[in-house]
Amino acid sequence: MLIKDSETINTVSQSGSSAYERFLDKRASITEEKQRFPLPYAVMLGLVFWMGSLAVMAPEVSADERVPVNRFAGSPVSVGSVNVSSVNVPSVNVPSEPTEQGFIIRDSEKQVYFERPPKRIAVLNWDLAEQLIELEVMPVAMPEIEAYHEWVVRPRVSGEVEELGLRDEPNLERLAAVKPDLILIAHRHKGLQQRLMKIAPVLYFDTFSQDHNNAQASIEIFRTLAKLVQKSSLAEAKLQQMDVRIAQLRQQLLNAYRGDLPAVTTIRFSSLTSVYIYGDNSMPQYALEMLGIPPAMPQPVTQWGITQTRLLDLRSIHEGIVLYFTPFDQEKKLKKSAIWQAMPFVQAGQSHRVRPAWTYGGAMSLRYMAEALTESLLEIAPVPVPVPVPEPEPEPLSVQTAIRSED
Amino acid sequence: MTSSSVLSRFYPTPLSVMTSVMALILLVLGLSLTYIQLGTDLPLTRQWQLWSGASPDSFEDYEYVYARLPRWVMVILVGMVMGLTGSLIQQLTRNPLLSPMTLGTSSGAWLSLVIMNIWWPGLVESHGATFAMGGALLSMAMVILIVGWQNLSGLPVVLAGMSVNILLGSLATAIILLNDQYARNLFIWGAGDLSQNGWDSVLWLLPRLVVVAGILVVAPGVLTLLRLGHEAAAARGMNIAVLFLLLMIAGIWLVSSVLTVVGVIGFIGLIAPNIARSLGARTAQAELLVSAGMGVVLLLVSDGLALYLSQFTPELIPSGLTAALIGAPALIWFTYRRSVTQEPLFFSMPGGKQHFTRRRLMVLCLLFGWVLFMSVFVRMMNQGWLLAMPDEFIWSLRWPRIATAFAAGAGMAVAGVIMQRLIHNPLASPDLLGMSAGSVLAVVLAGFWVGQFDTHWGPALAFSGSMLTLFVLLVLSRRKAFSPSVVIMTGIALAALIETLVQFALIKGTDDVYAVIRWLSGSTYNVEASEALFLLGATSLVFGCVMLCHRWLTLISAGRSVALARGLEVNRAFALLLTLAAALCALTTAIMGPVAFVGLLAPHMAAMLGARSVIIQLSVSALLGSFFLMLADWTGQVVIYPAQLSAGTIVSLIGGGYFVFLLMRGRLSQKG
Repeated sequence: MLIKDSETINTVSQSGSSAYERFLDKRASITEEKQRFPLPYAVMLGLVFWMGSLAVMAPEVSADERVPVNRFAGSPVSVGSVNVSSVNVPSVNVPSEPTEQGFIIRDSEKQVYFERPPKRIAVLNWDLAEQLIELEVMPVAMPEIEAYHEWVVRPRVSGEVEELGLRDEPNLERLAAVKPDLILIAHRHKGLQQRLMKIAPVLYFDTFSQDHNNAQASIEIFRTLAKLVQKSSLAEAKLQQMDVRIAQLRQQLLNAYRGDLPAVTTIRFSSLTSVYIYGDNSMPQYALEMLGIPPAMPQPVTQWGITQTRLLDLRSIHEGIVLYFTPFDQEKKLKKSAIWQAMPFVQAGQSHRVRPAWTYGGAMSLRYMAEALTESLLEIAPVPVPVPVPEPEPEPLSVQTAIRSED
Repeated sequence: MTSSSVLSRFYPTPLSVMTSVMALILLVLGLSLTYIQLGTDLPLTRQWQLWSGASPDSFEDYEYVYARLPRWVMVILVGMVMGLTGSLIQQLTRNPLLSPMTLGTSSGAWLSLVIMNIWWPGLVESHGATFAMGGALLSMAMVILIVGWQNLSGLPVVLAGMSVNILLGSLATAIILLNDQYARNLFIWGAGDLSQNGWDSVLWLLPRLVVVAGILVVAPGVLTLLRLGHEAAAARGMNIAVLFLLLMIAGIWLVSSVLTVVGVIGFIGLIAPNIARSLGARTAQAELLVSAGMGVVLLLVSDGLALYLSQFTPELIPSGLTAALIGAPALIWFTYRRSVTQEPLFFSMPGGKQHFTRRRLMVLCLLFGWVLFMSVFVRMMNQGWLLAMPDEFIWSLRWPRIATAFAAGAGMAVAGVIMQRLIHNPLASPDLLGMSAGSVLAVVLAGFWVGQFDTHWGPALAFSGSMLTLFVLLVLSRRKAFSPSVVIMTGIALAALIETLVQFALIKGTDDVYAVIRWLSGSTYNVEASEALFLLGATSLVFGCVMLCHRWLTLISAGRSVALARGLEVNRAFALLLTLAAALCALTTAIMGPVAFVGLLAPHMAAMLGARSVIIQLSVSALLGSFFLMLADWTGQVVIYPAQLSAGTIVSLIGGGYFVFLLMRGRLSQKG
């Protein structure tokens, strides 16, 4: 009647062999089964159909998202008015002639025309918030303020700023209730853009990206934001101050190191056996570059500039200094360990700690970073520096520095 | 079916203990020689000098003496402990599917380390080990409490361990998400890294391993007696409960020590004893010894692979990852070979009402309406909350979330009813059985491939991952007449593999990884209107199909033989129903991420309320599931306003807690 496969028959549970035979013999089952309706096949077909439709849907969504890119990119004439809120496409009210105060802001993907500077800016990202506060403009709302104070530390956020909840999922209802007239976002919130545009116009800045120089980008964003809030002169003054300060720090370092600056690599310990190396495109490395210091262990460009690797790999640093950011819970234990002690740079006394500093900040964080690194470097310099580094006077000077010459 | 009969059926040739131990020692020696040479430039002569006491001077010397050798010793110790405790636990419980991994210990230790690092970082160095151990012991105690120590031999304990894993894991995830900056340094530990910096860890671990000697002396006698069964052993004058407990605690103590030092490395403890048995280790003592040896061999191979791979990349390759890559397929293969067609149940359809009355339906609908009302009208403010008509914008934010929670809850609940009736086990649920795991795996793997976790392709990927898992499951279990153990263990193997992959992704420590954790926690935040509509439509469609097939479900849940006698093509119906369940699960996972416990709890509660026939149970479960998920979603949005917890997390916490409570109560009442 049918072919018996001894193995399959075996596995069928105790009572079922006769029915199982029916199962194998399709004709027999068809005559006996009540459910002749080809439901199984219909359902299977349906499933396949969904998978297809899902696959089709996915790119559609992403294409939808790029609408603003297409509207604005590459056409400097097409400008949107910031007054047109709660519409997806803020390109309706193009004024025939820009007024005196009107200006155009170019973010990472489009240009937007503003009739007057926005007054209530909400920021969804820490580094953008930091930049804005450095320009002496408080955002009306931002996420995770408490944690910001703990990690980014400065500049401080005033108590009136509305808390928006987690950075990953900022509370949109709260954001809408604050009634901002502009929202600043970065990479992390790109997916929210459509929804945010219903609350207020959105400027998108690619703050950290593998495709650009993060430090230069942050300075550019600093200038753009300054233009946005009409504080360009303040921004230029601050940038110049930073240049002066960095030139000063560089001079101190040159004195302390007898005119010959060593190569420096900065790291952060992640365990007793692994480290993050701040490589190309990281803020610490750019700060060092501005001081005229090359990396001791060049690393490839990454989005955030960090590469996690084994502690043992640091052995390839034979010449140069390794600075590690604190805090690290097991710092003492690590410094006592034989492997750390055996590192060529440790044996040469070429390693030191750096006080806690935020390494994913904006333009002004470069200055704080340079200060922290210089402080650490001076402490292990061959010529001891008796006096602590003085704060500079805010005098306008025109000093060309490393970052300028790159422009 | 007792394990001894399983053993004698499948593992034919008994080896003499001495021969096999000698062979293993030779194998370990050989592997060690290779292991130590991996990636070392040091000439053999210099190595010999260092061995014979020369003091190191170059960095290579230091690396050899203070990194490579301690790592090698660590591998030997850890492998031995894992193999030994795995075998001990499996023999004690007579359950070849148990190991510290499946008993939930690592998630307990993980949770306590996360808590400690975030709230008491200063104590980590001094007390971290004790704390992790406490967590491990507690979670283990919880699992044993759930099933009862006499019931450790079946699948239920594996499912209970899995539930505890999910419960504690989601708690840890919630804490990490709320405090992301603090948790970064923990991820390496979570991924399982054997790198050593000096001999400190080895020296810390060594005195704690004294217990091993105790186990080797005491255990063989006890285990041999236990093979006769609890009653027989008791009749020979053994105080089973005390000895059992002592040995179990000794085992967990060992595992926790190891966990604290090297982090989470799964699978070894589960596989080593299975290999030992298949090699013919019959007596209790032989199995313990050979398992310990196999543990060493497996870990040497895994870690050797990690070392070998890390020569080509600056990235960290955690040993936990290689162990999982080797272990997961091996686990599935061993389960597959074990071919036990039906497992004993300890837990039948839950007690409660016999009929579902109109009044209960009214109450349910009222509850449902209440949650719906709250999610639509409550508006949170800084000072408190108020009821207000949502304006157009707020409505456009809310309705996709509500619709998603509604559809996902109903879908998971219906999938749960199907799975429980198919597998004849009220503890089965789609999220425990690898359906969600398959989706997650697909998304995470694709993330590695592209280097970035793209949300747009997520749904399609998740769906195909789930369907692929289903396919594998169907192929594997078809020849075993859809044995529950194959289904469950495949799910567990996949889940553990995914856990490791996710940890591997996390150790990169960049901001992107938090997007993954958030997706993994099952959030409705990012669901677009079109996605919500799609989920709603597709779920209703599948629900309709399930309703059409309800007769098959009734027949199959009455028993395979009954269904066959009524002329049902059981295997085909089984495959189709499983596909429907997987489709529901895949839809939910694709749109909002994995959602645990709804599929377990909703059918269970429906049955307790008296919804006992298939159609009524399906509908009531769907209602309950929607209610739960909507409640969770709403609670997540208001409880720590303005921050939000994801619906998946809340549902795991509420559902997991309730589930554990339910099981414990059921067990206690059984006893009394």
